[in-house]
Amino acid sequence: MPTRPKTKSVKDDDSELIAAINAGQKKQFYNLVKRYEQKLYNFGLKMCRDITDAEDLVQETFLNVFRYLKDFRQETKFKNWLYRIAGNVCIKKRRRSKFAPEKELSLEEFLPGEDTVAERELPDWAALPLEKVLNRELNATINSAIRSLPQHYRAIIILRDIEGFSTEETAQILDLTPPNVKVRLHRARLFLREKLKDYFQNE
Amino acid sequence: MSRHSHHIKECIRMFEKLSEYIDSELDELTCRDIERHVKSCIQCKTCLETLKRTVALCRNAEREAVPELFSRRLKAFIQDLSSE
Repeated sequence: MPTRPKTKSVKDDDSELIAAINAGQKKQFYNLVKRYEQKLYNFGLKMCRDITDAEDLVQETFLNVFRYLKDFRQETKFKNWLYRIAGNVCIKKRRRSKFAPEKELSLEEFLPGEDTVAERELPDWAALPLEKVLNRELNATINSAIRSLPQHYRAIIILRDIEGFSTEETAQILDLTPPNVKVRLHRARLFLREKLKDYFQNE
Repeated sequence: MSRHSHHIKECIRMFEKLSEYIDSELDELTCRDIERHVKSCIQCKTCLETLKRTVALCRNAEREAVPELFSRRLKAFIQDLSSE
């Protein structure tokens, strides 16, 4: 009988802790939670409509991680597996809340204007040093703009541009193809760019 | 050089690839094409720079702290789970 090829196990900073938890040191699970609590909470704040939903997302994700950690085969980094679970929690939450069908963003709506003055000059928010532009109000604007994206674009921009996952990792986490991730990421970025342009024009 | 001296199709072709360019996911030849194009098309240059800045702002945006009350509740929840 042919044997299944062995999948390479991925070692990362969490491997030791996970091995200890799976060996019976259940109390160590809280240390794993502490490592990702803030990241996951921020993921929730951008994915969900309000703070309560973000908190529910964090709690439900860790509950699932606790339940299924013994089945985690380390075929991927723990962080990738964690976000896959968090993404699935979001999808379930969305189904439960009976959202309207997701809107698609078309590239044409973001094409730069033909003769607009604004498109011919580099605005200050893109020309000044980054630290002169970033502040709490802008952070809030970015979060709100991300929340206003359709969900399947939102998850991609958070994973790629906030969490720093690669295109391939994002595709694995969300069960998409890498070209699909690239197409949606580009549209999501263009959508955000429009929101930022509006914000700075009205400042 | 104004945009009218370009074929608009060229701008659209570049426009579709700007994110991949920012992410260094394009081959060298396509990168050179884009660089050549933005040197002579101010609209595409502005578009590229504002898109780059959008990505940089997302990457550098500050993370919110977890509210103390929720953090305590989560700790109690996890401790309950792990002592079952």
